[in-house]
Amino acid sequence: MVEAILTTLRETWSGYVEGLRLVIPRLLAMVSVVVAGWVVAALARAAVNRGLGWLRVARLAERTGTAELLRKAELPPAERLVASAVFWLLFFGFLLAGLDALGFHTLASLRTEILVLVPRLVGALVILAVGLVLANVVWRVVLLATVNAGWPSARLAGGAVYFLTVTVAVAMALDHVGLARPIVLAAFAIVLGTVMLAVAIALGIGLGPLVRRLVEERLTRRGGPESDGSSHL
Amino acid sequence: MTTILSDELLSELMAVGQVDVLVGLPTLNHSDSVAPVVRAAHVAFNRELARERTALVNVDGGSTDGTPDIVRDASIVDRETLVASQSLRTRHRISAPYHGVPGKAAALRTVFAAADLLQARAVVVLDPEIASVTPESVAALARPALAGAADFVSPAYARHPLDGALVTQVVRPLFRAAYGLALREPLAGEFGCSGPFAARCLEESAWETDDLRLAIDLWISGMAAGEARRVAEISLGPRRLTPRPRPGVAALVPQVLDALFTCLRLQEARWTSRSEAITVARLGAPLGPPDLGGSVDVTGYTTLFRDGLAALGEMLERALQPPTLAALRAAAAPGQAVDIPDDLWGGALRELAAAHRHATVSRDHLVRVAVPLYLGRVASFAAEVAGLDPRAAEERLDALCRNFERSRSELVALWTAPAR
Repeated sequence: MVEAILTTLRETWSGYVEGLRLVIPRLLAMVSVVVAGWVVAALARAAVNRGLGWLRVARLAERTGTAELLRKAELPPAERLVASAVFWLLFFGFLLAGLDALGFHTLASLRTEILVLVPRLVGALVILAVGLVLANVVWRVVLLATVNAGWPSARLAGGAVYFLTVTVAVAMALDHVGLARPIVLAAFAIVLGTVMLAVAIALGIGLGPLVRRLVEERLTRRGGPESDGSSHL
Repeated sequence: MTTILSDELLSELMAVGQVDVLVGLPTLNHSDSVAPVVRAAHVAFNRELARERTALVNVDGGSTDGTPDIVRDASIVDRETLVASQSLRTRHRISAPYHGVPGKAAALRTVFAAADLLQARAVVVLDPEIASVTPESVAALARPALAGAADFVSPAYARHPLDGALVTQVVRPLFRAAYGLALREPLAGEFGCSGPFAARCLEESAWETDDLRLAIDLWISGMAAGEARRVAEISLGPRRLTPRPRPGVAALVPQVLDALFTCLRLQEARWTSRSEAITVARLGAPLGPPDLGGSVDVTGYTTLFRDGLAALGEMLERALQPPTLAALRAAAAPGQAVDIPDDLWGGALRELAAAHRHATVSRDHLVRVAVPLYLGRVASFAAEVAGLDPRAAEERLDALCRNFERSRSELVALWTAPAR
């Protein structure tokens, strides 16, 4: 009886030690890959940060309005944001490689799914970033045009165009990710349709006389002295 | 130079030989206004400049309304003029398209190249939109250069204090502060200059840049500040433009500001390093009483200023310094008349110029942001001079220029400072 217990214990412990002997090198390999990945990612982050600084990306971000957007969103400056994205992308890659070194089959399938998702996520982020920059530029152009044309609701017009552009960009980004696509499309259609319907009803019923007056004023002014600025030169 | 002139134009010019006075007429769809200008030049050739060898070169930017044909066919109808003094020399009239990027800069470059080739002693450039041009004014622009009395001759017009507010409130004072050249019309499209001055302008590399396209008139005036040995201004009486549809103030202000700031950028080495003001000889009869027409209608400007300042605050914050913006906001406070004094206006313009130079905001947006500020200043100035007689108002305009001149060091400091 005692002999049997001892045998079982011995076998259990030897199996455990054998398991440890198999896992520890893999664990060490994973740790080394993760540490190396962290170092490489940190170096890449520093290099990208410096490179973007040299390319004066901060100034470009200021000019395009991206910097202002980032400030509003309480995010770091553009060059630091891009450098951080590079860091996390590289580090995440090394992390997956490290997990792969452990040899767990369940993690391997998870890694495959993540690897499929990552490019889509990056693409969606790029779409979102371009959409935000575009929205900002369009907002400024519309605001300046409406203010200088003497429209009474210049900010409203600019804000509406900004909202529409961002909405389209967000919908495109979510569609690109491909998660719950029907829900995203339906939600987008419902939200946009509701807004348009609300605007149409508001203009048609509530603001009809005001719109007519504004258009009449606008058309009258077009033929007036302001259409010829020669007296300013 | 031969690459500037087309083969066709070159052969026509070679047939002309040397001239004393070359009149350049850049045109682009000016069929409605060019004939009187051509006639004025020809009457001047026959009557005022009868002893000089003269030529008129029309450089056309590709008119589709038959402008070159009108220039070629324009006949002198003033018989009396011809009888009174007949031409002593052959008159030449050349009309040719120009090479390169469309725009007045390319046209002027062609005129200067033609003047250089013909060894003209004096060059007169006419604006086909100025309806008030006379044979006397053409000759008046040519004579100082012919006599060796001036290398650059700028026109001066008797104008209502509120006529040409973009010139009087923006271009004239800022140009004077930067270049030290007190010209009344630095933006004028018509001027006279000597052959050597035209040749010196041709040597500049700026012709190759696209920036010069809109800033050419100011750039030429800026060149006078450094390259002309003597600068003169000649009074040409009242100024009338040919009636034709023109852009409104919301489009004009950005155009003019962009031209002014671009010109300052192109010539920054020239004006930031100057130490003294340049003397301008005043020629001709003293300016008469200003023309009462052409005043700016400032109705509604106050509202546009207030609304614009409120809506564009975010962009203005990046273009102007906080004290300037705060002062402008105080001036826009409701319940009181808009008052933008000279110091505040000068500070705002200097900061806008520096913001344009450093591109702290998109340049295209920056010059549009300035529209409500300009309207506010015009409204403020109009209210200030409403009760003044024209002479006092004129003195007030001169005081504005002097104010800008006193603050020249601030302009240079802002301009040369590193970007914010």
